[in-house]
Amino acid sequence: MKCLKPMVLMVLVLFAAACASSNKPAEEAIKAAEAAINAAKGEAVKYIPDQVKGLEDGLQTAKDAFAKKDYKAALNAAKDLPGKAKDLAAAAATKKEELTKAWKEMSGGLPKMVEAIKSRVNVLSESKKLPANLDKAKLDGVKAGLPEVTQMWNDAQKAFSGGNLADAVSKAKTIKDKAVEMMTTLGMQIPAGAKS
Amino acid sequence: MAEEKTDAWDATQWHEVKKGDTLWKIAVTYYGDGSLYTKIFEANRDILKDPNLIKVGQKLRIP
Repeated sequence: MKCLKPMVLMVLVLFAAACASSNKPAEEAIKAAEAAINAAKGEAVKYIPDQVKGLEDGLQTAKDAFAKKDYKAALNAAKDLPGKAKDLAAAAATKKEELTKAWKEMSGGLPKMVEAIKSRVNVLSESKKLPANLDKAKLDGVKAGLPEVTQMWNDAQKAFSGGNLADAVSKAKTIKDKAVEMMTTLGMQIPAGAKS
Repeated sequence: MAEEKTDAWDATQWHEVKKGDTLWKIAVTYYGDGSLYTKIFEANRDILKDPNLIKVGQKLRIP
């Protein structure tokens, strides 16, 4: 009976050691995943927020499994995340490049479109009779929309200056669509760059 | 010969003069009012000396 006590203690120590060794890989995988995601998300969250959220959700799943002592599930959920985080950085760089190109094109082109619309509106405002397919209501609609377009363009430029490239491009696309609509209403030719 | 670069975002409005065109007719087409032909003439003073003399194939800016 006397020798039973140390044996029980030994079994308990061995059991604790076995538990520790089985949670270690999962713990390390979660730490590695968290570090990789944190390193990649700084830029990525600006350009591909949905993908960042997907990875963060994956990390949370791993943490939840770890908390429930399901170390196998935790390891499985976490092990691929560093690789995906690496892909995230590459995808963010690609998206940034796309947005920068789109902004460069639109920031050069949109003011030209707006100036052309203003010029045509000014001339049409002096016209005693409007051309075919254009009536006073349509012309007034375009006139009324011009200050809004100008304001939207100012907002887009502010977003760009503030480093929010995705928002700036999104606003610029809205302006482009609006300008195309106005030019169509006025029977004007649409620049090739604005057709895509 | 250097390749001519075209600006895909150039919003300049153009009209290519066809047989029978006059600035008055062109103004009616774009503005609905022939008397506004002077706007087109002024916008094309670099290539037009006389509003009554336009040539087939000429490309005119329409403000």
